Amino acid sequence: MTHEQPALALRGLAKRFDGKVAVAGVDLDVPAGSFYGLLGPNGAGKTTTLSMAVGLLRPDAGGAWVLGHDVWADPVRAKQLLGVMPDGVRLFDRLNGAELLAYHGLLRGMDPAVVDQRAAELLDVLALGDAGRTLVVDYSAGMKKKIGLACALLHGPRLLVLDEPFEAVDPVSAALIRDILHRYVVGGGTVVFSSHVMEVVERLCSHVAILADGTIKRVGTLTEVRGERSLEDVFVEVVGGRTATGEELAWLSR
Amino acid sequence: MAVPVTAPEVPASPTTDADRVRPVSARHFVKLKLRVMGNNFRGQGWRIAMFVGGVIAGLWFAVLGFFLLAAPGLAGEPTYALMVSAFGGGLLVLGWLLLPLVFFGVDETLDPARFALLPLSRRTLVTGLFAAALVSVPAVAALVATGGLVLTAGALGGPAAALVAAVGVVAGMLVCVAASRAMTSAFATMLRSRRVRDLAAVLLAVAAALFGPLQIAVMAALQDADWTRLTGVARVVGWTPFGAPWTMGVDVAEGRAWAVPVKLLVTAATIGALLWWWSRSLESAMVGAASSGPAKQRGGPVGGAVTQLFPGALGWARRGRFGALMARECRYWWRDARRRANLITIAVIGLFVPLMVNVGGTNLPSDSGLDLSTVGSSPVLVSVSLVFVGVLASITLANQFGFDGSAYAANVVAGVPGRLELRARMAAFSVYVVPMLAVVAIVLGVVLGRPAWLGVMAGALLASYGAGLAINAFVSVLGAYSLPETSNPFAMNTGAGVAKGFLTLLSMIASAVAALPMVIAAALLGDAWLWLALPFGLAYGLGAALLGAYLAGDVLDRRTPELLTAVTPRR
Ligand SMILES: Nc1ncnc2c1ncn2[C@@H]1O[C@H](COP(=O)(O)OP(=O)(O)O)[C@@H](O)[C@H]1O
Ligand SMILES: [Mg+2]
Repeated sequence: MTHEQPALALRGLAKRFDGKVAVAGVDLDVPAGSFYGLLGPNGAGKTTTLSMAVGLLRPDAGGAWVLGHDVWADPVRAKQLLGVMPDGVRLFDRLNGAELLAYHGLLRGMDPAVVDQRAAELLDVLALGDAGRTLVVDYSAGMKKKIGLACALLHGPRLLVLDEPFEAVDPVSAALIRDILHRYVVGGGTVVFSSHVMEVVERLCSHVAILADGTIKRVGTLTEVRGERSLEDVFVEVVGGRTATGEELAWLSR
Repeated sequence: MAVPVTAPEVPASPTTDADRVRPVSARHFVKLKLRVMGNNFRGQGWRIAMFVGGVIAGLWFAVLGFFLLAAPGLAGEPTYALMVSAFGGGLLVLGWLLLPLVFFGVDETLDPARFALLPLSRRTLVTGLFAAALVSVPAVAALVATGGLVLTAGALGGPAAALVAAVGVVAGMLVCVAASRAMTSAFATMLRSRRVRDLAAVLLAVAAALFGPLQIAVMAALQDADWTRLTGVARVVGWTPFGAPWTMGVDVAEGRAWAVPVKLLVTAATIGALLWWWSRSLESAMVGAASSGPAKQRGGPVGGAVTQLFPGALGWARRGRFGALMARECRYWWRDARRRANLITIAVIGLFVPLMVNVGGTNLPSDSGLDLSTVGSSPVLVSVSLVFVGVLASITLANQFGFDGSAYAANVVAGVPGRLELRARMAAFSVYVVPMLAVVAIVLGVVLGRPAWLGVMAGALLASYGAGLAINAFVSVLGAYSLPETSNPFAMNTGAGVAKGFLTLLSMIASAVAALPMVIAAALLGDAWLWLALPFGLAYGLGAALLGAYLAGDVLDRRTPELLTAVTPRR
């Protein structure tokens, strides 16, 4: 294992659903210690790609490696190093916040005393302590994102894979999440997250990949991809599609 | 409901003048349901196969029912016509009323909550959903079957009677469907509400207990072949909503045409009342769809996170992976309305079926030729009925991963070994079920006055429950299907009802076969078995369950992502 081992390596990942290609061969190297943004419009295949990368969805072709461990051949080692927050997936939401964290911690084989201590800290920092014994099912969307992040962080993974972590999160919580992720990366961790919000990506990321129609269109460090322009301009150019209306919809202004 | 619903023409069509809103009729709901069903099939060969299988099964039952109900007409036996229509029809209504609660659930292809934002009056919504509910395989099959009554009426009373019978049969089907919808919707509402949740449990028990008097009535009917008395009973049933729609045709044939308008009135009033009841609970389902769990828990001393996770009954469990899985499952069996409904069913059926089978048998007078009293109280019959209970309890786990839905992703991400997963799930379920089985054995022993049989009873229960757990471990890994994410614990996806039926049947047969040694031993070994049954049953059940978890866990490890995909509702 060399020193420059990528935190996450994807090779030729492909997936089709009912004959429709969702991901068409994705190669990606996420350097250890990077803050990696996976950008793409809705339906680009971000969720599908990340699900295959963490072992939630079996790819039709290709493979994924976490710090050199094959996710599909050696899942136990790979999954120990991984923290995941999937999108569009329920939590075990008939538990309250503390119970959910305890569950995730013990499931990862952590010491109960450590679980207790970390869970209390996380609930406190993420301002979820006030929710007390409210079940997660009754949390707001933003609170669900936060508890999901806490579950992914609890066992101190080396690589954090987050699908749309800033969706439906209010500005205060978003700032909080940014701060936590920033500290995590400074402390030697690696973050990969998907988003379609340019500002967040521009503000946080060291590396960016733009995904559209199931293939990587641009990849590199933020400055390489952005060049002289704004990230939004690059994104719109790569993805295509119309950004203004013409003659239609006249009935909107009555 | 997972499909992007392109509601054809439900809101005002944008092409017409914006001010002219076209009215929505029941036809639109039916079309919408057919469209959603069609989209569900797209590219899913096995779903089509399931559906075709369901249609074939439905047809088979329809033809069987048709000839049973047409028998008096075909044989020219007017004496039995009234009885067949009153009892046959009444049983049908009772089945539609109770079976969805206990076994099958209702098809919720059109989830009422989806209509909450559309500008539809409650009346439009209820009639529309009602019309859509009529378009289903069971409804069509039941309609075909009850067509036999039309034939009977026609053969005995000519075309006029047949016509009246046809009207009655259609009205009867409306009663059946309305009853099943109103009943499941009302119970769904009650099970969601923390306040009346326990009342709902009691009511469900009472509903299942209705099978009791029915069975005694049937027994009574069989024991004295006094047909005149039975005809009297049938006549009375014919005036209740259970029999009114079905007996109209026979009334005309037997010259009581005056009864027809009155019975039509009874039927119409019943349908109206049921739809009104349904609309009441629909509203609460639409508004309260967001939260489906108990809202908040009582306060109390808040310990550390780990302490909170483990319920009091699991205080002994080690704070590790196994303990965490088990604690979470235990919490879920109680907090998830869908799972709780299943537990209640086990408790109710588990108690009533063996009581009925064994006590009902002893009640028969011995002068009826067969000396049934000894059959009714033999260790063999007790074993058979308790094997049924054990199998029934374990069948609840046949789709255990479907209960979790996409939340199961957490376990996949954590890389939980399959064997550990299955063993923990079995253990957590047993925390609830084993005490229930103990109560069943003790109550049965006391009621039958045979405390000496306690060992045989407990042995049969444990062996069949353990064998069932093993079989269902495989079924749950290989045959998992997603459940709709609605607030109705009785809701099923289209086609999933058929899938569930097949899987249930398959796994029940397999489990029953696996538990057969207990029955055979009870028959062959005589008194020695009274002592041997308990230790043997315990070892057999425990061994089978552990072996099942061991083997099925291996399968689970190999197809974890596929299982997750299978239980994730498509959206
Ligand atoms: N389970 C599925 N079945 C069928 N099609 C799917 C499924 N999951 C995703 N897709 C399709 O694959 C494409 C990529 O989806 P997804 O990965 O969720 O995109 P993103 O996360 O970038 O918005 C979409 O067109 C979507 O419709
Ligand atoms: Mg996505």
